Amino acid sequence: MSLSTRETSKHITILLNGTLTSLKSVIPIGHEIERPRLLQTPLKLEYGVLIGITGDVKGKLILSGKPSTFGTIGTSMFGMELEGDMLESFSGELGNMIAGKLATSIYEEQVEIDITYPTVLQGKTMVSGYNKAILVSAWFADCGEMEIYVLLD
Amino acid sequence: MATILVTDDAAFMRMQLKDILTKLGHEIVGEAENGRLAVEKSAELNPDLITMDITMPEMGGVEAVREIKKHNPDAKIIMCSAMGQQGMVLEAIQAGAKDFIVKPFTAERIEEAVTKVL
Repeated sequence: MSLSTRETSKHITILLNGTLTSLKSVIPIGHEIERPRLLQTPLKLEYGVLIGITGDVKGKLILSGKPSTFGTIGTSMFGMELEGDMLESFSGELGNMIAGKLATSIYEEQVEIDITYPTVLQGKTMVSGYNKAILVSAWFADCGEMEIYVLLD
Repeated sequence: MATILVTDDAAFMRMQLKDILTKLGHEIVGEAENGRLAVEKSAELNPDLITMDITMPEMGGVEAVREIKKHNPDAKIIMCSAMGQQGMVLEAIQAGAKDFIVKPFTAERIEEAVTKVL
């Protein structure tokens, strides 16, 4: 059964607010968030991490940015330079921590979700198979931009 | 000093845990990247303590805890997961985990949990 527009809007709001709260909690770097916008074009990226969301709300969470942005965030969080396989692993884990915190925060609003383990996306990638996509850009001080996509199936 | 098996699908997280636990004076006797390997290595290495992630490919952490406890009821397991909702914590504790650490963690939180459980 398809979701009503009202239910879809509610789910987007819950996921979006939960994701932004989670971002603030997990990444200890000052950042500015741009106004969320509905993605009107196909979702294309070159580096990022995808987490599947199942349960009361079904969708995906994608964090995308330059590898150097993920690396600088990792250095800031764990005090070590990250490159190669360790950067890839950290990127996946960052997605896992943000999605995990999202699951925890929206559980308090009686919305129960589970998350999949992270998939790191590298190279020119186009993501499809979603119903609606919301994009929020976050600008981290001295680290650069991270694009956060909340996709609803 | 305790012998410890570290379980997490992320190599980065295993490295972090190994670093913290080694600095606390413990010996890392094995690593597992999913629950199934953790069950196998737990039987093979019989560590004093196991750290266990939850969301992992092949076999998740809660199922792995149940399997390990089935064969070794005395196994000491600390969950270490990004998922911290009450239901998840309860499920892990009911499966037999002794403590639950939410990522991202601090060295102090790891030390507190290990000291409590051992």
